[in-house]
Amino acid sequence: MDKTRKFLLKNQAVFTSILAVVLAFLMVAVLLIFSGRNPVEAFGYFIRGAFGDVFNFANTISRVVPLLIAAIAFIIGAKSSVFNVGIEGQLLLGALVSAVVGWGIKLPKPIHLPLTLLAGTLAGGLYALIPAWLKVYRKVNEILSTIMLNYPAFFFNHYIVLNVTPLEGVIPATPFVQETAKFSNLVPGTRLHAGVIVTALVVVFAYILLQKTSLGYEMRAVGLNREAARFHGIPVERRMMLAFFISGCLAGLAGAVEMAGVHYRYLDQFSPGYGYDSITVAMVGLLNPFGAIFSATLFGALKTGILDMAVYTQIPRQLVTLINGIVVLFISAKSIIQERFMQLVKGKDPISVEEEKI
Amino acid sequence: MEFNFLESLQDIFTLSLAYATIRICISIVFAAMGEMITERSGVLNMGVEGIMLMGAFSAAVGTHFTGSPWIGLLIAAIVAMLIGLIFAFIAITVKADQAISGLAIYLLGVGLSGYLLQAIFEHGGNTPKVETLPVIHLKFLENIPVINDIFNDQSVLMIPALLLPVLLYVVFYKTPWGTWLRAAGENPKALAVVGKDPIKIRYVAVLAGALLAGIGGAYLSIAQTSLFGERMVNGRGFIALSAVIFGNVKPGGVFAAAMFFSFMDALQYALQTVIPDQFFPREVFMALPYIITLLILAGFIKQSKGPADITNPYEKESR
Repeated sequence: MDKTRKFLLKNQAVFTSILAVVLAFLMVAVLLIFSGRNPVEAFGYFIRGAFGDVFNFANTISRVVPLLIAAIAFIIGAKSSVFNVGIEGQLLLGALVSAVVGWGIKLPKPIHLPLTLLAGTLAGGLYALIPAWLKVYRKVNEILSTIMLNYPAFFFNHYIVLNVTPLEGVIPATPFVQETAKFSNLVPGTRLHAGVIVTALVVVFAYILLQKTSLGYEMRAVGLNREAARFHGIPVERRMMLAFFISGCLAGLAGAVEMAGVHYRYLDQFSPGYGYDSITVAMVGLLNPFGAIFSATLFGALKTGILDMAVYTQIPRQLVTLINGIVVLFISAKSIIQERFMQLVKGKDPISVEEEKI
Repeated sequence: MEFNFLESLQDIFTLSLAYATIRICISIVFAAMGEMITERSGVLNMGVEGIMLMGAFSAAVGTHFTGSPWIGLLIAAIVAMLIGLIFAFIAITVKADQAISGLAIYLLGVGLSGYLLQAIFEHGGNTPKVETLPVIHLKFLENIPVINDIFNDQSVLMIPALLLPVLLYVVFYKTPWGTWLRAAGENPKALAVVGKDPIKIRYVAVLAGALLAGIGGAYLSIAQTSLFGERMVNGRGFIALSAVIFGNVKPGGVFAAAMFFSFMDALQYALQTVIPDQFFPREVFMALPYIITLLILAGFIKQSKGPADITNPYEKESR
């Protein structure tokens, strides 16, 4: 008993996060009951749709790819106290620019594919420099600026697709990219592609950057206490700009990878809100690159599972966005969940709970 | 095809542009005034957009099922305040990070309105057409040329929207409530010393803000248009937030800022219709309100001074 207690106390942040997600799902279940749906049945279809066979599982992993890269983008920003809510816009731009590079240039694959990804990455990063500059030098709240910058990005892409690149059919999209700009498919008949490798590299990159380099140490110091960081001679403004840039780059990369691995072109409105989902994924993953793997898997499963569920149960697929909102709500209120959880584990002794927090 | 820009200017700057500005501003003024009250008490609610969405949605649904847009408006007000209550609990009582809980309210609004829309009407996109709130036509205005063109035949909600800044000015600066409200945002500890509970005041301010945001959203679905469409608020909540910053969290300033942003939006529509697409892409005009809002924020925010204690949770003095 004592051992379990110690284990629970040591990993209280993890358990709080799990608890927040569980509570959110319970709330969703209640909502389903109120709208006359059977949550147990829905859950069954959801599990089957997400993990039922090799194909569904591969599709789930393919959803994890953009979610996880975008979540890492959010994490790198948030660790330096930069809340990049503009990942959606940066991701769309990244996908468009990479689609144009992948279509318009002819090169051997070992050069073409990386170049395509790099172009998308830079597009996202450069676009993120606008809210970065606004935040650091003009003190404009970045949540406000990044959300508003999502709109021009969308309109810009819409314009390019309809007026600049040739249309091949009725769907607003760029032409398909060259074979040399595509990720190879890993499981035929599914959407799983070699971009998974890029995703793994991004996770490792984020871990090394944040935990193993002095640059990452400085970025985290800025995130923890800006004034103290400044006092220690860390160039706070430049670190925040850098964090925003890297965050935007990864957002752009997420879009580029999705383009090169799944759609092979820029499809207007291809993103089912990956940019917004990534915020939830990052927060549930405790802003930890490895933690994000678990939460991205959960939300990737949600994305594929919900499709089966929507087909068989008439539960609207907008349920995913709703779940996102409720999960973030519970995560933002997690201090109270943590408090109650600790009381439960330690017995009702508020003083020792306070101690444990430090 | 010939296109003369100078000649087209007179097709753009017309009285109907002024009429459209007023028509557009009503929703933004309600939301911005509400957010101003909330921020004055020391709480930043970034979830305005989400509350507006739920307001717009429940107004349309309420109107659809009861046939009365007034009942729709009432339902929107109640739903908005319920969501405001959730936010108040998390931001004030739980003392969560206000930016993140505001973001959660935004996501919740998008998700809940989208989900319920599909769940109730069994198809996405939008609700069926609904009744709208009455349009007011004042006979005596007909004889006053410019005023008549701009203010006559607007929605009945125009009247409270235009009175609200004046009313709030009086409340803020001429009544004890205003003093308490501002004290809650400037120096809540001092307020507690004179026996007023800052927590209670912040709750009331958040609920008032949510109520007004809900009405601002309802205006979109049962007055400006006659249905609810998924994500129809389209960033107006964030523009309202910008108006509060730009207007220095003061009634006159926030109103002027809201009017300015509404004018930009009206202008954008006018430009789209007058200037042919092949001369200038309409997407540029559509992006214009967001870009101008950001440019203005970039230019003004350094001088802007909000309440001193904003986003700081209130902690009771412990001994």
